[in-house]
Amino acid sequence: MSEIILGSKMVQLIIALILVSTFLILGSTRLYSCVRAFGIQSFLLACVAGIVAYSTGKNDIYIVAVLTLVIKAAVIPYIFIYIIREIKVKREIELYVNVSPSLIIGGVLVVISYYLIRSINIISELSSFALSASMSLVSIGLFVMISRKKAIMQMLGILIMENGLFLGAISLTYGMPLLVELGIFFDVLIGVLIMGILIFRINRTFESIDTDMLKTLIG
Amino acid sequence: MIEYLLLAPILTSILCFLTKTRKQVETVSVIGSIATLALGLVLVNNVFKYGTIVTWQNALFADAFSAFIVLIVSIVGFVASFYSVGYMGHEFDHNIFDIRKLKMYYSLFHIFMFTMLLVGVTNNLGLWIAIEMTTLVSALLMILYSRKSSVEAAWKYMIICTVGITFALFGTILTYYAAVKVLGETGDALNWTSLIAVADRFDPTIMKLAFIFILIGYGTKAGLAPMHTWLPDAHSEAPTPVSALLSGVLLNCAMYGIIRFYTIATKSTGHEFTSNLIIIFGLLSLGIAVPFIILQEDYKRLLAYSSVEHMGIVALGIGFGGVYGIFGAILHMFNHAMTKSLMFFGAGNVLLKYETKEIDKVSGIVKTMPVTGTMLIIGGLAITGSPPFSIFLSEFTILAAGFLQGRYVSSVLFLLFLIMIFAGFFNNISKMVFGTPKPGITKGEVSRWTLAAMSILIVFVIVLGFYIPPFFYDMIMKVVEVVR
Repeated sequence: MSEIILGSKMVQLIIALILVSTFLILGSTRLYSCVRAFGIQSFLLACVAGIVAYSTGKNDIYIVAVLTLVIKAAVIPYIFIYIIREIKVKREIELYVNVSPSLIIGGVLVVISYYLIRSINIISELSSFALSASMSLVSIGLFVMISRKKAIMQMLGILIMENGLFLGAISLTYGMPLLVELGIFFDVLIGVLIMGILIFRINRTFESIDTDMLKTLIG
Repeated sequence: MIEYLLLAPILTSILCFLTKTRKQVETVSVIGSIATLALGLVLVNNVFKYGTIVTWQNALFADAFSAFIVLIVSIVGFVASFYSVGYMGHEFDHNIFDIRKLKMYYSLFHIFMFTMLLVGVTNNLGLWIAIEMTTLVSALLMILYSRKSSVEAAWKYMIICTVGITFALFGTILTYYAAVKVLGETGDALNWTSLIAVADRFDPTIMKLAFIFILIGYGTKAGLAPMHTWLPDAHSEAPTPVSALLSGVLLNCAMYGIIRFYTIATKSTGHEFTSNLIIIFGLLSLGIAVPFIILQEDYKRLLAYSSVEHMGIVALGIGFGGVYGIFGAILHMFNHAMTKSLMFFGAGNVLLKYETKEIDKVSGIVKTMPVTGTMLIIGGLAITGSPPFSIFLSEFTILAAGFLQGRYVSSVLFLLFLIMIFAGFFNNISKMVFGTPKPGITKGEVSRWTLAAMSILIVFVIVLGFYIPPFFYDMIMKVVEVVR
């Protein structure tokens, strides 16, 4: 059962590392380091999926692990770097919330997620660890979206949330049925491409990708 | 059968992309949408005659409710493709669109149709995937105009809806978890057909959590307040035929997702929990729409806020429940789709003629465009729920359901909001329709295509007001059986 696998020290360690990678994103003001941290996070996620696949012996999960590795750890970071290069965006991220408060808020979000998941009290002790990490990723992703000025960081925030949900699905039910997983990968990839197109368009129309500019439509 | 229905818009889209001239792309698009409508009608007919269809190794299915969504999508899609010929043709004549953009528009239009049909006929909770695809395609349609405001609206739309839909995914994962506990780990554990049979054995705690996430997630996409903030921007900045599809059809598709989960969650958690939640969001949507409708300065945004209101009404109908409530809600989905598309089409004609979206700068539509003006008055009366038009009937049914179920406070609030919205909305519309037109605006309608599209819709608006044909009644009753 899932408890045995997810309880194994290996997976716990990797999940802890995933949380660390999320804090790397919160603690960095350079776009490239954020993208790199996201790549590491996705790679670790693929490792979790790989371990789960190995211990359950399910071919479906192997496919999911490989897709995570290829799409989330390679293709999507590459798209990010392509966008950063093409629109010659300033490498520094401007923040609404500074680095040190960001890190503190991140820590608080992790603690809250942990207690929230424990209070639901429906899941066994060990997979609740993975689920609370997943919750933390979702909430930190949201926080990244609202606290960073660049449109590109909002895109990164959504992907962090998505990674969080992936972790949740793996830890609760060994992931979704293959057809659904494939559909989600497809949507994420197309979504990133279209958000990329939008970012290019924002850059061309406003000559900046600061979301400060996008505040005219109200009422 | 279902495969052909899905194939038609995809083929049309590819063909649109391969054409060379304006005439070709328009012909292909219109023929494609006629084919989609025909296949849609055949599917609807088959479902209501022979019952639920399941194909493609259980991946696709169509029961009464899916068929109903397919019906709405294919009718409005068909009409919108007619309207596009007039509207986009006008933009093409005035060199706002070149042939490359025109082709792009029609290709995306039909892919958009495909994704919305897919929402209706997916057997899987992976419905999520189809709904996310609708966001992606319609965001691209929005940035066809490279105005600053369109780009801003598209970005907001994309970001807010994607976050919303991520929450819905979490709800879906939780539902799957609940299902796996009962059904075991089969690929079928996310299929409606297998879920609905065992939904009463799901863990209520998990299903409560799942339903909250689903309601917030799909509620974002359905424009329920307070997650509606993207909606007025997106619906007012999109090209007008697309606005009609967004307001009339896409919101219904998201609502469809909510209602499906409502059915499953209710079986496990009991009626009280899900109904109360839906009623709160419904009333909030109505309430928030009131000031924005009364004080609105932009008529496309006015229509968009009216969509927030009407999605709130559908939510209320579902929340009140009982045969009346659900019957009213389903009927309202159809009526709103027809009436709101009609209004957006009318607004599109006004936009082409007056070249402004400000209510204050438009006057005397009846004099400059008599047909459009008349239809706007009828549509305006209809959309605010005045008799004898279709929406009056569905709103009245929902109100009756509210009182029947003993939800007096919500029903009275509902009635109060409706009256305020009626006053505000009609005040704004009459300012535009009556009065003397500004000098320099020539008389005459924009295009015969746009009028043809509108006259099809107005038939539904008027006829369904005092006569519901028996087959249509049966159809809705079958949907009610599925939902309850």
